[in-house]
Amino acid sequence: MGIPYFPGCTLHVKAKGLDDSTRATLAALGLELTELPEWTCCGTAFPLAQDNYMGMVASARILAKAAKEGDGRLVTVCSFCYNVLKRVNFALKNNDEARTKLNAYLEENYNGELRVLHPLELLRDDLGFDSLKTRVDRKLKGMKVACYYGCMLSRPAKEMEFGEPENPALMEEFVKAVGAEPVDFPYKTKCCGSYQVLNNYDLVAGRVKDILKAARVRDSEVIITSCPLCQFNLDWLQDRFADEDKSFSKIPVLYFTQLLGIALEISVAKLGLDNHYVDPKPLLQAG
Amino acid sequence: MAAENKMVSIYIMGKQYEVPYGVTIMKAMEYAGYRFIRGCGCRGGFCGACGTVYRKPDSFRLKVGLACATMVEDGMHLTQIPFYPANRASYKLEELSPSLGTLLQHYPEVTRCLGCNQCTRICPQELSVMDYIAAAQRGDIEKTAHQSFDCIMCGLCASRCPAEIVQYNVGILARRLYGRHIAPRAAHLAERVGEIKAGKFNDELSRLMQMSKEELQRRYEARDIEQ
Amino acid sequence: MTSEEMTRKVKELSGQNPYLCMQCGLCSASCTGIGVMDLLPRQVMRFLQLGKEEILKNRSIWMCTTCLICTARCPRGIDIARVMEALRTINLRKGNDILAPEDVPAELLAEIPQMALTSGFRKLSA
Repeated sequence: MGIPYFPGCTLHVKAKGLDDSTRATLAALGLELTELPEWTCCGTAFPLAQDNYMGMVASARILAKAAKEGDGRLVTVCSFCYNVLKRVNFALKNNDEARTKLNAYLEENYNGELRVLHPLELLRDDLGFDSLKTRVDRKLKGMKVACYYGCMLSRPAKEMEFGEPENPALMEEFVKAVGAEPVDFPYKTKCCGSYQVLNNYDLVAGRVKDILKAARVRDSEVIITSCPLCQFNLDWLQDRFADEDKSFSKIPVLYFTQLLGIALEISVAKLGLDNHYVDPKPLLQAG
Repeated sequence: MAAENKMVSIYIMGKQYEVPYGVTIMKAMEYAGYRFIRGCGCRGGFCGACGTVYRKPDSFRLKVGLACATMVEDGMHLTQIPFYPANRASYKLEELSPSLGTLLQHYPEVTRCLGCNQCTRICPQELSVMDYIAAAQRGDIEKTAHQSFDCIMCGLCASRCPAEIVQYNVGILARRLYGRHIAPRAAHLAERVGEIKAGKFNDELSRLMQMSKEELQRRYEARDIEQ
Repeated sequence: MTSEEMTRKVKELSGQNPYLCMQCGLCSASCTGIGVMDLLPRQVMRFLQLGKEEILKNRSIWMCTTCLICTARCPRGIDIARVMEALRTINLRKGNDILAPEDVPAELLAEIPQMALTSGFRKLSA
């Protein structure tokens, strides 16, 4: 029996590479994950209106079911899922009204006892980065990596407990542990434009250009993230940018677990590297 | 005798009627003078045409059932919701690919699911409706198809959905995609259809068609039945 | 909706006090959506302080990506993202929205991770 794991909707098809690489890498490091038996969408966006408990019901039910697994932990890797599950869990634990209203609605009682964990936290706390260092090949030595957290992992700081709201460092520690070199990346928690991609191309294109440029300025060879929507926004638009501007040079956008998989020499087929718009395969030859 | 004559009070769309104890909602409504032109089909609990919402006097909870398969109770408030004017995409199945993109193109509103679970609570077939919508939302067509398999398309789920999702139409799209594009082809079926087309059974069929009714009956009763 | 009603409702929905804002503009300088906004977040806060109801009809409230950078930086501790959400919520609860499923182009629907739809509908659709 592994640690209870909530993959999230997008990881079933669109971000299958994130799901596959998360399971494969953590299993290779002795951290087996077991998918929850039945789960729904988490709701993705935490409701910010004080009385919007309806927006928390889906996450609350997922947490209540996960608590029945008896492990005391729930692991999820998608930044949106992580953000909303952790925030709803916080509300269930600390907000009496939220707890009362949500429990009146659920099929079972749950009071926020779980710890919602990101795989980066598992790697740091359960495995340890020192131990991770001894497990990786030297393949990534010297590779310059831009760690892109996006807006979901570290904010709000009090609820997420993921480091400084604008300057978290966990992903950089991870990059060092796998033998690569994190670059100084001031745009690491700037939002990519998120769901505005649905009907606001200019907003997203502007943000993505700035983020890619900031990564390029520091000679990054790859950007890593744990968010399928950041990954999509940063990756998908590059073809169009390259068409518009012949001097634009593309930069692959990987999930951090895919980078970990490369470092652990897990077979490429298990890492889902084929579904990226900017081909990350040349990186594999780098080492 | 007394039990047979027992009457109960029910409220159809708010109006009180005295109807016999122990009959279905559908029979009670007909007893009360309603005549069904729509909202009635097989009368046997299969076709899903007579979805009905009711409430018992001691509870705020709304319950559902098929009018042809639910017994009246004293003090019951009810109305039929035989049809719901919900979104229904049109498509050419053979031109679709069995993908998440297809589901989202036809029913993007599945991503509006709030997880409130009202659809599951109301389903007269006791399907895990919320779970098959969750599967559709993540692009798991096979699971959506299997979990929605017993859906009778009564539409009650859609009547309760705050996200305006049409669960039953999402389900049938998934089952069609599954049947047409994902389920493995049955080789023996194709072979048999080929045999039929080639006329292998023509002689036998024409023999049957010329038989007397008595002979057919005799053969029918003596047939092999798969246990 | 009168201006008093609007102010009361925004306070209630956001749990924030707009009068704490000292108009320093750090939120505007930080904002993700700034390039496509007509009123900057600082101006939204000012309009709210002045009770100008036209803020409810403003485009800016729909350009917010709820990235919480304004909230993280506000020196007065105002959760500005919650104020923006309150202004959207007042609209959404009347059925005023800016994103309908049928508005999203079919080719984008085929490509996009569905989480964009889920979150977009939650924030921008009634």
